[in-house]
Parts: sequence; C-alpha cells; structure tokens
Amino acid sequence: MKKILGLFALVTAAALFTGCASGPKYSTIKSTFPPLAQDSGRIYFYRNSILGAAVQPPVKLNGNEVGTAKADGFFYVDRPAGNYTVETSTEVTRRLSLMLDTNQTRYVKLNISMGFFVGHVYPELVDNATGENEITECKYTGGK
Amino acid sequence: MKTMPKTLRNKIICLLGLGLVGLFLTGCMFDVSHVKLAPVSFAATTGPAHSFVLNQNVDARLGTGFPTRLDALTRWHQVGTTEYGDVFATKDQIVTVESSNIYEAQLVVSNRCITGFYLPVDLKFVSVGHPIPIEIKSFN
Repeated sequence: MKKILGLFALVTAAALFTGCASGPKYSTIKSTFPPLAQDSGRIYFYRNSILGAAVQPPVKLNGNEVGTAKADGFFYVDRPAGNYTVETSTEVTRRLSLMLDTNQTRYVKLNISMGFFVGHVYPELVDNATGENEITECKYTGGK
Repeated sequence: MKTMPKTLRNKIICLLGLGLVGLFLTGCMFDVSHVKLAPVSFAATTGPAHSFVLNQNVDARLGTGFPTRLDALTRWHQVGTTEYGDVFATKDQIVTVESSNIYEAQLVVSNRCITGFYLPVDLKFVSVGHPIPIEIKSFN
C-alpha cells in the first residue's frame, strides 16, 4: 500500500512540476530585455499560480498565438500602439480587450478558474503596480 | 439501498442522471454573464476638454455580478462624446467592464450622472441601467 501511495505522490509531483515554467525569474532577466521601439508598447503576460498547472492554453493576441499560459511563467510582446484582444481557450474562450499606447507597459494576468472538465484560464488587465509586484517570481517562458 | 424499493431506487438514479446532464449542460454554457453591448457613435474631443476628480468611490453595477469600482480621487479627462454622454478616461486606475469576458472601458457621464461605459476596442456602449449620480470636483 505504501508503495502505491509513494508512486501516486511521485506521479502527482511529476505532473505538477512538468506543468510549471522553468526559465529564469523575471527579477533576474528583466534587465536584459531590449528597450521599447519608439512607436511601440509592451504587454507582459504572466500566470503566478501553480493551480491547474497542467492546463496550459495558448495565448492569442488579435488572433495570433504569442505564447503559452504556463503556470508560474511569463512572457512579453512589443506591439505598435493600438487596440488589442487577448484570448485564451480551454473548453471555453475567454477574451480581454485592451488599449496600448506608445511607450506604455501593460500587464495581463492569466488567472485560472474552475471548469466542468478542464479549468478555465482567463486574462485580466491589472494595474502596473500589481503587475510589477506579482510577476517578480515568475519564470520567463519566451513568446512565439 | 438494499432495503429501498426498486422503483424508488430507479427514480433516484434517474434524477441523479438528469442532475448530471443538467450540470453538464450548464457547464457547457459557461458564458453565463453577459453585458449588453449597444452600438454607439463616438467623436473624439478636439477642442478644450473637461476634467474632474471623483469625490467618492463608486460601484457601477451592470447586472453581471462584477461591478466596476471607480476609486475616489481619481482624475478623469474627457476624450470624446457619444449620444449617451461625454466620455472620460483616467490614468489613475484600470477601468474594465467584466462579464464572462473583460473589456477595457471608459466612463460615460451625462449631467453629473454615470450613464455607462464606452468600450474603445469594441466601439460599443454598455449602459448601467439607471444613471448613477456622482460627486465630482471639476478642475477644468
């Protein structure tokens, strides 16, 4: 019985950790990111929870895949100023619309909530103070 | 269960099955919280714009279960006009309209009452239903 429990614990731990991001932390890598181009803004996407780590939907920006919602991970994209729609899909699609100005940095938090078969990941726009604080321990996953 | 009559047991199983199907169907309908998006004509402000400071916190309820909180002492600057009122934006807080999806929004004010929100990405208007009076301090 103990062997079975041990095996179960190992499998659970493996499932949990393979679902988590493994790159360098935001706080250590941030200084290496290139400065913004003159006509662009930057959008950070981060997921600072390991809850539902196995659920990792792609993140789409205006219909194009820009990264993956990995637990404990983050990535960013630089885009020209304009209007954008962020989408994440599991068994449902969740959308966030936001505006991006020149030289502006925005933070999109990828939250997870309960679903019927699979958890739902939904993008939420947070203020910069919250975003800068919550992204610190997240690990860089790189965009697409 | 052993002492339960067979017909009653079958009914309970049937009810449980129905409940599961119901749960599944409602589970499939996850987009349960909607906002009514109305068409709107927006004209950007070109001349001198109004500005104000909100004196108190306001919870603008849209019937979605997710009220939009507007913080006291936030500064708002007019960015345009619609048929529902003047449109104001702020850099002091994030303003979103939240339902199953989330929309970045700007405030629409008419006669010192919030009439709703303008969604600049979707180019739509969301009404608050009953206008919400606000206390403001104009500074322009």
